Order: sequence, then structure tokens, then C-alpha cells
Amino acid sequence: MLAALAGVPWTLAAQRGVPPAQSKGLPRAESRGPAPGASRIQFADVTARAGIGFVHKSGATPEKRMFETFGSGVAWIDYDNDGFQDLFFVNGVPGSPNALYHNNHDGTFTDVTARAGVEGSGAPGSPAAAAAKTGAAVGDFDNDGYLDLYVTALGPNTLYRNNHDGTFSDVTASAGVGGPPTEWSTSTGFLDFDRDGDLDLYVANYLDYRVADNPYCGQAKEGYRMYCHPTMFDGVADRLYRNEGNGTFTDISKQAGIANPAGKGLGVAFCDYDRDGWTDIYVANDTVRNFLYHNTGKGTFVDEAYRAAVGFDLNGRPQAGMGTDCADVDGPSTRQADNGLPEIFVTNFSEELNTLYENRGDGLFEDVSAKAGLGSGFLPLGFGTKLFDADNDGDLDIHVTNGHVIDNVTLYRPTLSYAQKDLLYENLGGGRFRDVTAEAGAALQATRVGRGLAVADFDNDGLLDVAISSLNQPAVLLRNTGARAGNWIMIRAKGRKSNAFGLGATVTIETSEGRQVREINNVASYLSSNDIRLHVGLGAAKIIQRIEVAWPGGTKQVLTNVAVNQILVIDEP
Amino acid sequence: MPAGFRTLVCAAFVAWQAAAPSAPIQERLERVRAELYSRTDRLAENVTELKQILALDPRSADAHMLLGIAYSTWGSKELKGEAIGEFRQALDLNPRLVEVRFFLARLYLDLGRAGRAREELDAALAQTPGNPEFLALLGEAERQLKNPRRAIEVTRQALQADPSFAPARFYLALALLDASQRDEGIKEMEQVVRAGAPVADAYLALGSAYVEAGRTADAIATLSQGLRVDALRPELHIALARAYRSKGLLEKADAELMLGKPKRSAMSDSSDYPYQQVELDFYLERGMIKLQRGQLAAAAEAFKKVLEFEPAHEAATRELAEVNRRLRAKKPGGAR
Repeated sequence: MLAALAGVPWTLAAQRGVPPAQSKGLPRAESRGPAPGASRIQFADVTARAGIGFVHKSGATPEKRMFETFGSGVAWIDYDNDGFQDLFFVNGVPGSPNALYHNNHDGTFTDVTARAGVEGSGAPGSPAAAAAKTGAAVGDFDNDGYLDLYVTALGPNTLYRNNHDGTFSDVTASAGVGGPPTEWSTSTGFLDFDRDGDLDLYVANYLDYRVADNPYCGQAKEGYRMYCHPTMFDGVADRLYRNEGNGTFTDISKQAGIANPAGKGLGVAFCDYDRDGWTDIYVANDTVRNFLYHNTGKGTFVDEAYRAAVGFDLNGRPQAGMGTDCADVDGPSTRQADNGLPEIFVTNFSEELNTLYENRGDGLFEDVSAKAGLGSGFLPLGFGTKLFDADNDGDLDIHVTNGHVIDNVTLYRPTLSYAQKDLLYENLGGGRFRDVTAEAGAALQATRVGRGLAVADFDNDGLLDVAISSLNQPAVLLRNTGARAGNWIMIRAKGRKSNAFGLGATVTIETSEGRQVREINNVASYLSSNDIRLHVGLGAAKIIQRIEVAWPGGTKQVLTNVAVNQILVIDEP
Repeated sequence: MPAGFRTLVCAAFVAWQAAAPSAPIQERLERVRAELYSRTDRLAENVTELKQILALDPRSADAHMLLGIAYSTWGSKELKGEAIGEFRQALDLNPRLVEVRFFLARLYLDLGRAGRAREELDAALAQTPGNPEFLALLGEAERQLKNPRRAIEVTRQALQADPSFAPARFYLALALLDASQRDEGIKEMEQVVRAGAPVADAYLALGSAYVEAGRTADAIATLSQGLRVDALRPELHIALARAYRSKGLLEKADAELMLGKPKRSAMSDSSDYPYQQVELDFYLERGMIKLQRGQLAAAAEAFKKVLEFEPAHEAATRELAEVNRRLRAKKPGGAR
């Protein structure tokens, strides 16, 4: 339909009847724009005002069981298709309830967990009740137009199918995606790796860890016991489940070539790094090299980490990878440095730089972390992260939430701290960054034990907001209150031959400011899932001259002269 | 990681990107294998070469195994995890590479994971029954798992298969000492040391056994010999200090002990069990020397330090009580 109407400036509400671009009655207590001397990127903590009362529970004990310190994720999911992103928090300690908050369209949320049936506490005595829950993925696995939810755990994972009435059903058993009951799964995401029109499922696995076999680590002095180094445990191979299109999945990890037992996966990101049309997978592993699974297009993957030089840091050492994302940070293409290809960003342990691998375009990446201006990430221990355009100036900024894994770290290293500040980097253009954390508002001066982080425009005002899940602490919702440096567009893809939300589609946007190549993809960060719509900052462009959508089903669709500052629904022809 | 290694890795990668070597992969693997098994001065180059091979063939089980060996030889803790990963990937790609299980077991033992080491060695022995190398290492795993009888049994099996296999004798000696068969243990360990094995642990174990047996002159000679093998091992200095103390050479003991003072560095090092044990042994010996020299305050401080590490430490508790008794006795009207 849209192709036929190409050339017509698109206005959201008129064409598709989806909600207006901004929520009504949104509180405006935060002033828009920066104070003098501050960054134009500003965030305000609106958690309390929004009615988000979720508090993560880790179940921390003096035994320092490993799962207690890795936290849980957060996911944005418009589960009722009302055009506003709802918010789901995973809870940690076995038996603790997850939380689903419905977006009321006025800046507030309502806890609908019990009605929705996604508590995930498990029936007493069941394996689910003993599961320590970790990550969340959002995707429409049955292509019914409603987003489903997958929750990972140290223990059985859970697939919740959306019933279209505000409730979900646990279909894990019939779908066959529960995984072994002792496996420690972490970050996860839906992708259509074989481009057959339905969403497959990737699950990263961490350590071969048994609660009953928990070694003592740290000094043997009272109060000095610490969480063990991951070297004390073996890794566990990740899993890839192929969607059979009938509500069931098949575990094809081994045949697909992603079942590497060396992995200690914590973060997962999907992107087509060589733009061959097939979604690739990047896995951030903890203390062992990272994996870059190149999709061969034949149902298999080849780990190209050695060839592409994305497995290690600049010195050839493995790092403690936590969260990750993959997107083009040196765009738009009018800038000399940009080749339109996605870079890879990984958050790492304290006293390791967060790593930015620049995509050189010849199959090789270069570690440019230090020269990109990311040096302030050396001391903090990074977890959740997202590359997104926080100020709509047309390039991607970086948010990292931090927090150490060793709660008594100051006993060992007085210069380090358990709770830490987030890091916010403004992209100065061409993939060169400036740390603007100190200037970005009071909300970013708070310390937390940050773990999951997910980005979405929850109030549909064209600026991306941030939700953070902190270990054993209240969750935080950060509303983006910065000054818009430019216009924007938000694209909600509706697949027909492709999967229903267009995951994996490549979108090329051309304006007077240049060309941006982006992907529709909600999988990145740590244990978390982002807005499934594609947000693109447009800078000073007043109109989008051309949008090209390369759908995973193979169709190419072109729209021209598209109006800015709207949420655009694009139907696959 | 030494700074030179970084430079070498980076330089080698740049060179490789400019012009990839054209020799066939198998030939390159054999060259690296020969180097890894015969010398340690080209580790950085070997690592780079193996990474290049894996860039060309990510599923080469041999390359993953050799990279694991290179990382293990490098010896840093951060690379041990990576070495285990490489070994596990190698085994996953080619389960017939039974020697990988041996390398894995050795790493697990280094990390104090004797149970996992035993699993790997059991699996290896199921593939190649009676292999003396696997049996010897299994003996050591059993010893670390506090099964000295079983350790003696399997190390003897290893020696039966190959009587000249020195590691089996070394592990047998350790097991005998653990099983309180001191004289037999000493005899076996003397054979190892006499054969000139460049293993500091053999000298340490034998020297300590001599001290226990009251043979302080032999202990001093053996431990001094051990320090010629590895002068940086604090355990040898601590054991030698103990030998001097046993002979009444308290000043010499004090000086020797200071050479063995563990250096606290990064958090990971200081939290390692072996490091903690050395620190504990150091303070215990310090307390003993100070006590015998009549330096009661210093002795008390040292014993308290031991009790910080291990609140129920029997010897430290006993000796601290003795120190306190003497301190009370020194006070006017203190002892009754």
C-alpha cells in the first residue's frame, strides 16, 4: 500500500489510525532542554511519577551464589498494540514475581502483572519456582500481530504467547524452548535467521553452575567471601531454536554451528554486519573471547571472530564482555568516516575499556575504543547498553549502566565501588564521543548497581527514553527531556511475507543530512529488549527524501518525500 | 601480559593483514606444534600464527588445541580461562583428541578444580586405558580430592606401565606423604630429586618432609637446592626459614622468611587460595620465629594475622594463647 502512495508526505494518525505522536496529558514538570553549560542530552528520573514500583530481588546470601550478582533484564513490549510501549521487568531470585506495566498514554503506568499471567514465580515445587530469572526477549513468534515474551533463567526458560486480550499463556512445553532445567541462560532474542518469515530464537548461555556446588572464593576472612571468577566454571554452549511455523521450535544449535562450549555468553546483539542480507549474531562472552557468527544464508553460521578481530581487545586479550549492541555509529554517510556498516560495542569489566569495534568494511574490525573517546569507561563495570540517537541529531549516542559484580569490592580495592554511575556518551559525529554524564541531569548523577537497560520512546514524543533494572534496587525510568537537535521518524514495520514486525529489515533513510542505514531490531544490551520500532534522528532535515526498506522476505520497498516527526507504519507490500 | 607481547601481537596482525602467509594450514600447524613442544621463547609468535590459522579455518580442532597449549604455557590467570575454552572447543570439534583432556585436567588442577580434572582423566583413560601420563595426573587429582589411597594406587599403576616416568613418582611421593607414610614418601621423592627434576615443588615437599622428620640439615640442603631451581617461590623461603628455626638459627630464619613475604597485588591474586595459603604460612612462621626470639608483641601480631585468615587455626590459636600467657607473666603481678 505504501509503495503505491510513495511521494505523499505521511502523517501518522491519518493513514493508520495509530495514536498521535505524543501522549496526551504528559506531565511537563521537567523543563525541556538543558541548563546553561549542560549537554543538550538530558534525562529525568520519572520512575515514581510514572507509577513504576518494581524492585529487583537478587536473593543475595553470604554463600555468594553466582546468579545473585548478575541481575535481570527489562523489556519494552507493546503487548496490546495500542501504539504505546509497555514495560516488563524480569525478577531474579527464585519465586520472585516479574512485573508488567501497562502504559496509560499519559506518562503513567499500571501494574497488570497478575492479570497478564507473566509473574513467572512458578507453582510451588516446580522447576520454574526454583529458577533464577534473568533475561527477556520480545517478538511475535506466531505472526499473529501481537508481541510474545520469552524469559530466560538459571533453570527452565519460559515462552509466553500473547492471547490478544491482555493475557499471556505459558506455551514453553508445546513450543519446546524451555531448555535443560539446569542451564543458565542469559541474553536472548528473536531473529529470522533463515528468512522464512517466522522468528527463530537465540539464547545465550553462561556458566555450568550448580547451586549445590558453589566453591568458596575470596579471602577466607569474615566478610571477604566474594563471587567467584568465571574461570572457576566451564562455559555452556548457546542455543538456537528454529521456528517450525506451527507453534513449535527445533533446537538446531549444533547443526547451525553456534554450539561452542567455550562460550560464557552474557550479551547478544544481532545485525547484518556485512550487509549480505542475512542477520549475523554477536555474543559478548565473559572472560573468554567473543563470538561473531556470520550467517552463511544456508542455515549455518561460521564464527568469524578471529578473522574479523572482534574476539579480543587491542592487546589480544579476552575481556569480560557483558552487554553489547551493533549499529552504525559513524553515520550519516555524508561524513567521511562512514561506510554505512554497523560497528560493534561491548561493555566490559572494571579496568577494561568498553570496546568499540569499527567496521572497516573488508570483513575486519578495528578496536577504536580509546581513540573514539570512550576512556572514561575504564573503571566502571559496564552491563546494559544501547546505541541510540538521544538528541535526534542523526548519529548514535551511547548509554551504559554500570555496577560492580563483587558487592564487597571495596574491601579488596578501595578505589572501586559496587554501585556506580551510568555513562552517557554524546556522538560528536563520525563515531567520536564525549562523556556527557555529568552534564545530562541529576538522574544520571545517581549511583546504582545497573544491570539491564532498554530504550524506547514510551511517550511517543520522538525522543528515546531509558529503563534500567538495578540489582536489588528499584527500577529506574529515565525520560529524555533534552533539547531536540533535530527531527526524527519512528518506523513500525508490518511484515506480510516477512515476520510480522519486520525484524531484520534493513532501512536506508536519505535526507539532506545524508544517508543512514539501520536495521529493525530490538535485540541488544544485556538481558534486555528494546522498542521494536525503529527510531531515527534526522538532524536538520525537514523531509525524508527516500526510505528504502529491504524486508527479510526479500522485497525492497521505497517511499519518497516522507514527512518527519511522525510514527510511520510501513506495510510490507 | 608483558608489554612486549602486546606490541608483537599488534605488529603481527598488521603484517598479516598486509600479506597473509600462503603456506598450507597443516604445514603451519605442524611448525607451531613443533615450536610449542620444544621451546617457550616464541609463544607470542605462535599465538599470532594460530589466530591467523583460525581466521582461515575457525573449525580447526588442532589449531584450537595448540592455542590452548600456548595460552596455558603463557601462565597468566586471565589466559587460563581462554585456554580452557580453546581446549573445550577443540574437543567438541574432534572428540578423538584425547591429549586435550590431559591439558584440560592440568589446568583444572591449577585452578583447584580437582573434580573436573578427574572427570577429564577418567574420560581419557576410557579412551586409552593404562596410559601412564593420564594415570599419574589422575593420581594427583585424587590426592587433591583427599583420596591419598586411591592416588597411591593409580600412580603405582602409572609406574608399572612406565617405571621411568618421573611425574608419576613425584605424585606417588606426594600421595605417600599425604597418607602419613612419610619414610616411603621421602624415599620416592629422593629419587625424583636425585634424578635432577627441575621441579621446585619436589624440593619443597622433600625439604618439608625432612623438617617433619627432624632431619634439618638435609632439609636446609634440599630447600636451598630448590631455591636454585626457582628463587621466586615464597613457599621455599618459608620452608627454609622453618628449617633454620628448627635448628635454632633464629636470625637466619628471620632473614630467610622476609625473602618469602608474599607480595599483595591485584584483587584476583590476593583472593586466590594458593596465595592465601602462602600468606597464612608466612605469618604462622613469622609468629613462631618471633615467639622463639622473645619478641612477643610481633609474635602476637603475626598469629592474629593467621587467625584473620582462618579463625579456627589450631596452631595459631595455641601459640597466641602461649604468647598472651607470657605477656601476662611479664606484667608485674601478672602471672599467678
